[in-house]
Amino acid sequence: MNEGPMREGPMSEGPMNPVLDIRGLRLHLPKTARPVLDGVDLTVAERETVALVGESGSGKTLTSRSVLRLLPPGATTEGVVDVQGESVLTMDPARLRRLRTHTAAMVFQDPRAAINPLRRIGDFLTESLRLNADLPAADADRRAGELLEAVGLSGRALRQYPGQLSGGMLQRVMIAAALMGDPVLILADEPTTALDVTTQAEVVALLGDLRERFGTGLLFVTHDLGLAAAISDRVYVMYAGRIAETGPAEALFNRPRHPYTAALLASTPRLDAPPGRLAAIDGRPPSLQEELTGCPFAPRCAFATQVCTEEMPPPLPVRGEPNRLVACHHSDRLADQLAGRTVHE
Amino acid sequence: MSDPAVQDALSAAEPVLEVTGLHRAFGSVRAVDDVSFTLARGGSLGIVGESGSGKTTTARIVVGLERADSGRVLVCGRDRAGHGGRAGHGRAERLRRAREVQMVFQDPFLSLDPRTTVGGVLRETLRLHFPGDRAGHERRTGELLDQVGLGSREAGALPRQLSGGQRQRVAIARALAVEPTVLVLDEAVAALDVSVQAQILNLLADIREQTGIGYLFITHDLGVVRCVTDDVIVMRNGRIVEAGPTVGVLADPQHPYTRLLLDSVPRPGWDPRQIAEARRAL
Amino acid sequence: MTTALLHRPGLARIRTSRSWLYLLCLGFVGVIVLVALLAPWLSPHDPNAVDLGNALAGPSGSHPLGVDGSGRDTLSRLMTGARTSLLGPLGVVVFSTVAGVAVGLAAGWRGGWLDSVLSRSTELVFAFPGLLLAILIVSIYGEGLFAPVVALGFAYLPYVSRLTRSLVLAERERPYIEAYRVQGHSALQICLRHVLPNIAPVVLAQSTINFGYALIDLAGLSFLGLGVPALTPDWGRMVFDGETAIQSGYPLSAILPCVAIVLTVVAFNVVGEHWADQVARRDR
Repeated sequence: MNEGPMREGPMSEGPMNPVLDIRGLRLHLPKTARPVLDGVDLTVAERETVALVGESGSGKTLTSRSVLRLLPPGATTEGVVDVQGESVLTMDPARLRRLRTHTAAMVFQDPRAAINPLRRIGDFLTESLRLNADLPAADADRRAGELLEAVGLSGRALRQYPGQLSGGMLQRVMIAAALMGDPVLILADEPTTALDVTTQAEVVALLGDLRERFGTGLLFVTHDLGLAAAISDRVYVMYAGRIAETGPAEALFNRPRHPYTAALLASTPRLDAPPGRLAAIDGRPPSLQEELTGCPFAPRCAFATQVCTEEMPPPLPVRGEPNRLVACHHSDRLADQLAGRTVHE
Repeated sequence: MSDPAVQDALSAAEPVLEVTGLHRAFGSVRAVDDVSFTLARGGSLGIVGESGSGKTTTARIVVGLERADSGRVLVCGRDRAGHGGRAGHGRAERLRRAREVQMVFQDPFLSLDPRTTVGGVLRETLRLHFPGDRAGHERRTGELLDQVGLGSREAGALPRQLSGGQRQRVAIARALAVEPTVLVLDEAVAALDVSVQAQILNLLADIREQTGIGYLFITHDLGVVRCVTDDVIVMRNGRIVEAGPTVGVLADPQHPYTRLLLDSVPRPGWDPRQIAEARRAL
Repeated sequence: MTTALLHRPGLARIRTSRSWLYLLCLGFVGVIVLVALLAPWLSPHDPNAVDLGNALAGPSGSHPLGVDGSGRDTLSRLMTGARTSLLGPLGVVVFSTVAGVAVGLAAGWRGGWLDSVLSRSTELVFAFPGLLLAILIVSIYGEGLFAPVVALGFAYLPYVSRLTRSLVLAERERPYIEAYRVQGHSALQICLRHVLPNIAPVVLAQSTINFGYALIDLAGLSFLGLGVPALTPDWGRMVFDGETAIQSGYPLSAILPCVAIVLTVVAFNVVGEHWADQVARRDR
């Protein structure tokens, strides 16, 4: 029986307050044969880090952008996207602006593309607060200075231009900018992909510290399953606009229950795996011009049977692990195979 | 990966690529500072480093897109690095250099002419290097497409109609069409999805086995290096800080920077704060 | 991946792929070109047939647009005038495009001293107002279409060469150009076979817009009495000839060629802008 979307935060927390609650989100773009997002359920609680993992075309970026209603032109939506109980998809523009300034903030992948190279860092940080008349200029400047120090830069950076900072430092500036409005939710869209691996570690450490200090929830969108498993409390794996699997990070990484997750793990070159050929997944994700019946991963799945091409698998709890959901008809067979037992039809 | 006996035999053979004492400075910044390494025939050498390490500049010097200030680049014993304007000119020289070292670039879309079809790209190359054999070109084009896992349907397609993985296959086919001795791959899988990356890495391993071509693999990803290279050198700020067989270096790194790189790879139980401190300490 | 955004302002709101304005202007351009080509067969009267007894008459059955100060049929003169009025700008555009692309390509691709020499020279030409240059040339060489066309061609060259140069500079940095160098193609081959076709659409779209400006400049020359010889029907010349007509209170023969000029220039501009937008959208 479907128990509905996950609502659990870390086990030690008291009553659950989902900062972000997405239910049944469907997104249609013009001139496509299938919806880009097809029934996404996702929650983020206070102080929780949730990772959204997928490859290009999975819909992970659009999901995070829909939280701020940053949708492509011509998009139509169905379903619910609630931030702190308020519906984002039906908000009026004034309330939406307030949401984007104060309640939820986004950190983008390429800091150099997301910042105006002709304005100083200080101007960039205080701009939206000053324009929306929420803080007098002096207060805004003071807050900007405090946040720059919280992210590990000196106040001197206020007077500098983006071109004078490195990629890692600029990404810290973006994080400070996201925190300016004192948000309850931060959406990070591949924030470390454009950075060096050692800088990535620093930025991730920073996000963790800030989360504890300011109590924000974090939705971390990435294609790196290893990174997701290492830093988040819960992970959602997306494929072709749907959630394939979700659960606590460690459990999902060590005991995947969806063939796509397992295949993704097997095809990632890892330092602790034996050297040699990788178990690559044949084929490609379905294009938006193809209509889909049944499971989108079926054409590439080793466990696929007739039912997989006819019926869309609903998200069901995993046998023995109630806080995990997986959308697969044959998740049990996968579990058995991974546990080393042979499977007889 | 070739087995150890073959490996030993290979490294005992004459190296196809020998780089000695390479230097390149941009103003006061030493991008490449006394870099030396060798690549055995059919071998695979990885150059690992972060941005600013000099790995890309080194690769571009080997390929010929940049000139070194000093140092030698020998391919099969022939000197390539034309620093100080001593590089030979003329068509024959140009073609010969192309047949020594070829390159696959990082961005699969930008490295293809947006107006040329896949088949057209390969034909151009074949016409340039093997003129006068028109019938043979068609056959060879088909062979190359087959080798990289593309079909006749892709032969007539433009780059924008292909996926990232397919475009990178075209770039590999284009490089192979020249029949080079060494193939330089500059972050060739960094822009690809994980599952596509795995396909391309497997393809590259297959090609190396089939053709005996040598790889110079530039990357920042230690997992990729482990998967596709026999030897590795680690660069930082233009200098080589560690070198050796890949398996050995990654299992037991000697230099603290290599250890830092290894620790920076995310995995369960990872403590990024520790890495941040270690980085500041270095 | 970042690409330069080539969004062009203008009639953006009106313009979609099949916008009515574009189609209307395209149709108008087509009609004008056809009329110019078929003028000798289409015009109802000999454009140079003088009939002083009928001078400055208004529209009538046999002269739908009236006659000018010398009794010549305005409609026939407009139709025949389309020939020189379109031929001149065509010459200007072809000359400036071919020469401008060659200069811009050389300057952008080679760089160095060649670039400096070429860029400084074209900047000198920039500084000189095109129309004055044309007047100067005409005063030396006398009447005729050839001299002003060449003069204006030189005056327009810097616009094309500057655009080409910046496009080549951007294209030169693209990885696929490096890939071709590594493959062993010569610089000249790469320049002609790959860079040129990739920048051509942008340059050609700009040249279509230059056509309109050239038309105005040449008509202006004719209006000043320079350029085409006195008896040639040419729109600018007709405005000049119509001066007395306006003073006599029968302005039709002077206004109609003005209207023709304006409509043609606007039509070419709309079509050119549309093509430029399409090219920019395709490049993205």
